[in-house]
Amino acid sequence: MTVSEEVEKNWGDLPKIFEHGVETLPQLLIYQAKRFGGHTFHRKKDFGIWQCYSFNDVLENVETFAMGLSVLGVNRGETVGMIGENDPELFWGEYAAQAIGAKAVCLYPDFTSAQMEYLVNHAEAVVMVCEDQEQVDKVLEIEDKLPRVHHFIYWDDKGMWHYDHPKLMTFAQVQELGRQHIRENPGRFDQEVAAGRGSDPAVISYTSGTTGLPKGCVMTHDNLFDTSLRVAGAIALRPFMQALSYISPAWAAEQMFGITQGLLVPFIVNFPEEPETVQENLREIGTEAVTFTPRQWESMASLVESKMLDAGPVRRWFFQWGMKAGREVNLARLDGKKIPLGWRLLYPLADKTVLYPLRDNLGLQAAYYSQSGGSGMAPDVFRFFQAMGVKLRNVFGTTEMGLFTLHQGDTYDLETVGKWMPVHPRFGPPLEYIISDAGELLVKGGSGFAGYYRNPEASAQKIIDGYYTTGDAVYMTEKNEMVYLDRLEDMRKLSSGHSYPPQFIENRLRFSPFIKEVMTLGDAQKPFVSAMINIDIGTIGPWAEQRTIGYTTFTDLSQNPDVRELIKEEIKKVNYFLPEGSKVKRFFNLPKELDPDEDELTRSRKIRRSFLEEKYSDFIAAIYEDKTEFNAEVPVKYQDGRTGLLKTDIHIEDLKE
Amino acid sequence: MEPAHHLMKTIGLDLRFGGVKALTDVSTVLGMSEILAIIGPNGAGKSCLLNCMNGFYRPQKGQVFFQDKEITDEKPHSIATMGIARTFQGIQLFAGLSVIDNLLTGRHLFMKTSPLQGFIYRYWTHREEMRERRKVEEIIDFLEIKHIRHALVGSLSYGLRKRIDLGRALAMEPKVLLMDEPMAGMNLEEKEDMARFIIDIREAMDIPVVIVEHDMQVVMDIADRIYVLNWGNVIAEGSPDEIKKNPDVIQAYLGEER
Repeated sequence: MTVSEEVEKNWGDLPKIFEHGVETLPQLLIYQAKRFGGHTFHRKKDFGIWQCYSFNDVLENVETFAMGLSVLGVNRGETVGMIGENDPELFWGEYAAQAIGAKAVCLYPDFTSAQMEYLVNHAEAVVMVCEDQEQVDKVLEIEDKLPRVHHFIYWDDKGMWHYDHPKLMTFAQVQELGRQHIRENPGRFDQEVAAGRGSDPAVISYTSGTTGLPKGCVMTHDNLFDTSLRVAGAIALRPFMQALSYISPAWAAEQMFGITQGLLVPFIVNFPEEPETVQENLREIGTEAVTFTPRQWESMASLVESKMLDAGPVRRWFFQWGMKAGREVNLARLDGKKIPLGWRLLYPLADKTVLYPLRDNLGLQAAYYSQSGGSGMAPDVFRFFQAMGVKLRNVFGTTEMGLFTLHQGDTYDLETVGKWMPVHPRFGPPLEYIISDAGELLVKGGSGFAGYYRNPEASAQKIIDGYYTTGDAVYMTEKNEMVYLDRLEDMRKLSSGHSYPPQFIENRLRFSPFIKEVMTLGDAQKPFVSAMINIDIGTIGPWAEQRTIGYTTFTDLSQNPDVRELIKEEIKKVNYFLPEGSKVKRFFNLPKELDPDEDELTRSRKIRRSFLEEKYSDFIAAIYEDKTEFNAEVPVKYQDGRTGLLKTDIHIEDLKE
Repeated sequence: MEPAHHLMKTIGLDLRFGGVKALTDVSTVLGMSEILAIIGPNGAGKSCLLNCMNGFYRPQKGQVFFQDKEITDEKPHSIATMGIARTFQGIQLFAGLSVIDNLLTGRHLFMKTSPLQGFIYRYWTHREEMRERRKVEEIIDFLEIKHIRHALVGSLSYGLRKRIDLGRALAMEPKVLLMDEPMAGMNLEEKEDMARFIIDIREAMDIPVVIVEHDMQVVMDIADRIYVLNWGNVIAEGSPDEIKKNPDVIQAYLGEER
């Protein structure tokens, strides 16, 4: 199969690099250093100034550290453990380990000693490279339990002035050993690097493991290059973009983004001064490429919201007006819709007065390749940044098989996780997927799955008929965009045998301003999915008033035909993203609000499923008996403690075509 | 146990305000590299002793020596120039200046260019500013206040302002640091941070520290040696363990046992 012209154009000359005998990251580093030499590659803010390291500097640091590791007795095939915040030394350490044929394992800097112990031992690390006193203290605490580790190396010596330990060395001391070794054995580094193969393990990346112990997924150099080229084919990456490296390389996404793409494209990889200064650093460097977790994007969005709440009424009005213009124009463009003329004319003004300063202050003015990794981000957060004019994209994949889908091009649906990405022929066949009867995504193609470290049984379990089983339930829309529904184990089965994602449906419905609470119905005794809705009188009330729809009580409003129609439209929007069997077929509006005082919600306002199923069993029975109207009696508890009986007619709405 | 080599010393200090005897025959010694705590009940004369050491008060009797040179009659600013830095109980910072600028004011002793040169802002001033800024950045790094370097001091929390105050004292590159109640009004976390910085100052910069402090827990944890004052007299001297067991100290703090 051939790839499209556009993909070829996006790739440009990138794949040619691999025609020069480049198979591993260190080989690529040597190659890039020959091409770009004195050009800045890594930058780190230190003592208030962005310190630059050129390709030559990085190569020299990697070379000396690699040879130092070798002098310390790190052999081909062994593992080098690393833990710390993103720093140049962390990246150099990884390249250095790979240069002598070892593999790296990166741990999250906030791991406790107990968490480290299992991973360090499982990965069979022989050397631990730590950032600072905090990390050194943690590893020294469990030193006795790490029999294989013969050296602890650290690069930030703050607070380390009086440590005296036979296994402890600084990064610079190891480099000095390396320098001596190079003087005696010139050319050895090049030999070691040249011996590397693309199929060598480069990194072990531990998956979070919601159940059981974490599994160490082996990523080969081929895997890393393959997945990097997938993205490079899907979106045109420009060389020497200013990239901010913030997410930990312990997460496979940063291995792909900062470590591999950073070297391949290449980027100028900037390291923030401190986790607390990321926001400021983003702006200082004029970030063009950035990958954050959904959590980080969400907190950036809520930072803006909370600052605007503190602002005066005039500024707040301007902000809201500007964001409205942004939504009208940018979101319409994203959906490929026509932009209303009025907003089209006002947009330049809104951009100049509100949106540009907003992007500028967040440091996202130049952001061109910004992405959120994973599946969990609410579409509202995407819309927030898109309205602002930031082309925020979602990238989705697995550690085991690399990245699968990305929001591509200029029009894409924010409810989805994007379209499938191409694979460069050098690294294997295109990605092929099937969706199993249970709704699970199965994938094969690309450079494939290299297996879990020291766990062949688990690796074998993951492969069925050559396909890798992701454990994720997904759905493809008509436009070939993928919707992430849920983890397979969280899906619920219907009597028809079909599984549907209750969390996905409920969360999406809750995003609607008109719906306050929702519970999906449907289990092994029920043939289809239905929903009971608690409308939000706070928004539907004013909505009704604007349309001169009269109502008396919550009960009355909830059963109003226009309101039922409104809710029906909201459900239809969500149904679009669901496979046929998972669509919500029937629903009714509850005649009263769900109330924690009546044990219908927990105190933290989560729905109490089994209690509700019991209490509203008549309602539920009516839905599945195909009734459209039904006379209900609901016991209610008033604020003063008295109880009463609410009698009303409930209308059940149908969404069947 | 008094240290073998001393950096600073007071001999027989007497300080009176009218009829009130604030200090009576107070003799103390500060070693070359130690954290020395001065404790005592309210009104015991702890801050008076510090004030005598850096020249704010002139004792009626007795002498203060620094590096074997008598400084009893020196002015506070010339004592500061000799390398005795001090932080205050109430914070004395420029609330309207940024953290960096506040720390730079601590560097004024090292700045040689004139206001006129500053106005023209050419080679000399430029070079000087870069040099001083670098020093300030080292302190910012040391005290872990990178995220607020551009913030106005007035907008910071109390604990952070205390840290800036310490930073400004360090900016003077002192030979000894006098700290008056560095932990007062702090929450537990801020206290732990401050205690760690005080230990780090001694370890990384080899600067001896004299602290006047009420928080016994902190004093017992970080001090190498303690003087206990009561009614202007030194009633005990020794390591934290010795002080804890000393009957005079127990009596001064807890009252007489009946």
